[in-house]
Amino acid sequence: MIRHVMRWEAVLVAILVAELLIFGAINPRFLNSASLLFGTSDFVHIGMVAVPLTLVIIAGGIDVSFASTVGLTAILFGIANFMGAPLAVSILAALGAGALAGGFNAAMIRVTRLQPLVITLGALYLFSGAATVLSGAVGASGYEGIGGFPAGFTAMGYARILGLPTGLALFLAIAVALWLLLHLTRFGRLVFQTGQNEAAARHSGLPVGRVQATTYVLTGLCAALAGLMLSAYFGSARVDLGTATLLPAITAAVLGGASIYGGQGSVLGTVIAVFIIGYLQQGLQMSGVPSQISGALSGALLVVVVALRHGAALLRDLIPAASSSR
Amino acid sequence: MLDAIARNRVATLVCVTVLVLLAVGLAAPGFLTGNTAAIIWSNGLVLMLVALGILPVILTRNIDVSGGSILGLSAVVLGLTVNAGTPLWGAVALALAAGTAAGALNGALVAGLGVPAIVATLGTLGLYRGIMLIATGGEWIEGLPDGLKALGAKGAIGIAPLGWVVGALALALALALRTRRGLWPNAVGDNREAARHLGLPVRRIVFGSFTFAGFMAALAGVTFAAQIGFVPNQAGTGIELRAIAALVLGGVSLLGGVGTAGGVVVAVIFFTAIDTALVFLKIPAYWNDLIGGAMLLLVLLIDGRLRIALERRDRAARYRRATQLPDRTPLEDAA
Amino acid sequence: MGEMLAELRGVTKAYGPVQVLRDVDFEIRAGEIHALLGGNGAGKSTLMKILAGLVPASAGEIRINGTSLSHPTPAQVQALGLYLVPQEAHIFPHQSVLQNVCIGLPRAAHHYRDRIERHIAELGVSISPDAKAATLEIADRQLVEILRGMIRNARVLVLDEPTSALTPHEVEALFTRMRALRDAGAGLVFISHKLHELRAICDRITVLRDGNTVLAAPLADCPDTRIIAAMSPGASALRDRAAPREIGAQALTLEGVSGEGFEDISLGLRAGEILALTGVVGAGRTELAETLVGLRPLAGGRLEVNGRALPRPSPRRAVDAGLVYLSEDRQQYGLFLEAPLFWNTSSFVTHKLPALLRPGREKARFARYRDSMKIRCQSPEQSAAALSGGNQQKVLLSKCLAAAPRVLILDEPTRGVDVGARGDIYAIIEELAAQGVAVLLISSDFDEVVRLADRIAVMAGGRIAGELPGGSPIGEIARLAFESREPAHA
Repeated sequence: MIRHVMRWEAVLVAILVAELLIFGAINPRFLNSASLLFGTSDFVHIGMVAVPLTLVIIAGGIDVSFASTVGLTAILFGIANFMGAPLAVSILAALGAGALAGGFNAAMIRVTRLQPLVITLGALYLFSGAATVLSGAVGASGYEGIGGFPAGFTAMGYARILGLPTGLALFLAIAVALWLLLHLTRFGRLVFQTGQNEAAARHSGLPVGRVQATTYVLTGLCAALAGLMLSAYFGSARVDLGTATLLPAITAAVLGGASIYGGQGSVLGTVIAVFIIGYLQQGLQMSGVPSQISGALSGALLVVVVALRHGAALLRDLIPAASSSR
Repeated sequence: MLDAIARNRVATLVCVTVLVLLAVGLAAPGFLTGNTAAIIWSNGLVLMLVALGILPVILTRNIDVSGGSILGLSAVVLGLTVNAGTPLWGAVALALAAGTAAGALNGALVAGLGVPAIVATLGTLGLYRGIMLIATGGEWIEGLPDGLKALGAKGAIGIAPLGWVVGALALALALALRTRRGLWPNAVGDNREAARHLGLPVRRIVFGSFTFAGFMAALAGVTFAAQIGFVPNQAGTGIELRAIAALVLGGVSLLGGVGTAGGVVVAVIFFTAIDTALVFLKIPAYWNDLIGGAMLLLVLLIDGRLRIALERRDRAARYRRATQLPDRTPLEDAA
Repeated sequence: MGEMLAELRGVTKAYGPVQVLRDVDFEIRAGEIHALLGGNGAGKSTLMKILAGLVPASAGEIRINGTSLSHPTPAQVQALGLYLVPQEAHIFPHQSVLQNVCIGLPRAAHHYRDRIERHIAELGVSISPDAKAATLEIADRQLVEILRGMIRNARVLVLDEPTSALTPHEVEALFTRMRALRDAGAGLVFISHKLHELRAICDRITVLRDGNTVLAAPLADCPDTRIIAAMSPGASALRDRAAPREIGAQALTLEGVSGEGFEDISLGLRAGEILALTGVVGAGRTELAETLVGLRPLAGGRLEVNGRALPRPSPRRAVDAGLVYLSEDRQQYGLFLEAPLFWNTSSFVTHKLPALLRPGREKARFARYRDSMKIRCQSPEQSAAALSGGNQQKVLLSKCLAAAPRVLILDEPTRGVDVGARGDIYAIIEELAAQGVAVLLISSDFDEVVRLADRIAVMAGGRIAGELPGGSPIGEIARLAFESREPAHA
């Protein structure tokens, strides 16, 4: 299994390199290191939620509500700031709300024992509805959002950490932390085993509920980080900040090798997939393709890559000779 | 009581809907009219079509989240062809064909290549939306002919021609799902291995379900265009999630094998009735998502807890029977 | 001999490099019951799935009722009058019994209602055609499969271990019906591990080993020794009982324990002792074991492990108290099939691993168990899916042992395990007891119980029906197990 995953990550790297070379051939400016580096600011927020989402999926769950959590936590931050709370308190409020949102999902799934997709779908509406109502309550009607942040906060959106843009640095930090957590620690082992066979995990006395709840809380927390990052970047908190992350984030996790049935996946794979999807959108824009179409291409990419993967497995079953080379 | 609620999902939902409507009627006199009923039906048509289309897919224990994009794609095919001078019936036929083909591609990915349904339709969700945008170049399509708009305008007893079509389709689907072959999607979702074992053409059934979902989403696209008279870029965005929410509310299990067309119809009416009532009560539209989400979660919470309580009771009853059986023998001997 | 109903000629099947069947011939004639026997992985299930069109053969010819089929589908095969009753009934839980039986037939279900009711009466059972299948007991689910075969007018009926979930009473009813079908000119294939059942109804026997036919003869010509020798040339399972062991202090005490499906159970178990808990399926033994480790609610009574009360058991608390339970359902509740083998070994004690894992140590621990238990595998990182039933069971035993149990509950540890691996597992159980572990052996196999246990407790209808000393005659165990459970309506 481990070897299988490594091989898949190698395929993803090859796709990424091919993609960069093709766009570089079309438009040499694309391969300029500054544009590669700062271009990431347009998509790192996808990665910030895709990585914890990978853990949720591996543990046998799914979360679609994070797309609203991003906006909800950003609005809460904006409101706290608007009411005159110190910056640190506002940030903590947003992070706390994100963790609570994740905890709410986990609690509802546990109490109702229904499929996570259904519960988090309800939460997707609930959270975005709450964000809309809250932003209406402070008079920030419509989609213009809540602004007026301290200069120090908005500056963070454009600062550099170790030479990297803040967003990218934050994304990589999340990725490294969760990679360590998933692949080297006892908790990571529990995440995999819960997803591989939940009944056996219960029989073995593993804390199934706690493990799954933690993955949802992590996702809520990272969604809040993404919400804060986007608020700083745009200088205002909006309800719909995260709406566009829903499909690309799930796409990244699945493309990265996470099995929708649980028990399989890798943080590294998701990270590479995020770059594939992000640079695809960027490269297309720089090549003069309208931005809407890049959505089509990342959809097509997902279909083609996963179809190839399943098609290859199908072929292996049909042609015994191919499998003897394993 | 518990039994009746949990085992008769549709009837319970009907009661709740009626109660909600009565409550709104009390708060805002003039709400409870035939006209309001016609408005609710008409407002719910598009969601109804998408939800009924996804029903067989979910019965087979798959899922289709590409409905909104198929809706948009077919609406664009309709708009572009009819504005290019194709007769209306031809344009509608082309739109339906496009949607059906899109559904068939989903089916081929899932049934043919074995790609997990959520992954395949997530991909085509982006793909079809992109094709639609390429076709329109990102422009809205306006100036649709009056003949098309007439299909969505009020007709006999306040119901549009398309309203009648959807009603007839819902009835037909409800009846079809009770026939010998109509039970097959249920069987596949209930126990795929058993269906294969009994010689059912499992892959063809799954393929057929996705194709049907594509057709229904295309019809939803035609209805959408007829009702609002133009085709915006975001036509249908997010409707697949609303449709799935309605299916769940209507008692369809995402684990396959359980669900009825009647439940879906009632659930869609419930959702639309709430939206319509909010408008009538002059509650700002931005409350819609919060109320809708809270309603859905509340229903799920009650539903989940009821189911757990019932299971626990059935289980206790079964074990009581099991342990008491030997006890009863001597008593009966004595009698 | 009757006319030929179905035959397989030169059937070969390979999954990748693994050869499952090699040039196997098999035939079914009218008016006979043909026994098919073989250890786990011998290929008998695969052979029958090929016959039923569920699995394509790599090479060979399939002929049913005179029609030759190169790539049969289940629908074609059933139309030609062959039906396979699988080992585990394939049920649509949300449909009625009537729909369950009729799905896949050419006409709507209600056309068949009368015939189904007639067949139910012929089988002498009481199930309603309108009952939801989810509510059926395991034995009744099996009947749904048999009804499917009957309603399809099958002239060839293949029954894959149909008796494993039935009570003796139901087995007898099934055999009566099988004989009637045979006498009416049908051909039947009967797969079972139980020799006395084969003796009761079969006419001919075929034994497979490693995908080859190793014995094919009239059953009357084959004494038990010849059949066993054909199945496993090096069988060690039928060894004599081990030397008596030293029995230590009280390790497990149950006082009036009640729960789902059992009542008022009192038992004691000492260190180094093997106590068999036997009875028929549904007697409440698994429910009792699952309650002791907190997988089901404990309704009343007292539970003590190593002299310390365990008032609110949970799987984790049970492991910490030294009480370990190995479920009878390996695939569902035991193994993490996709995970590396050494993860499986560690899974009872995951909470005792360091927060930052040290896989090297875990692999070394797995390697120790692999060597001592003769687990046949390629590497500690390999997944369990590719292992045979016997080796999977050994991996699970290593998982139990890694938890250093003082009391070990083994639920049907040799179900679906071939004779060779069964001998290894017996040796492991005896070795454990010799090291002072208290073993509670749940088993429905009376031979196994007599062979291993120091004491035998018989459960029936959720209560202890009686206790017997080790080595008691099988007849006495069976009397306790069956008679007190004889249903009221019989």
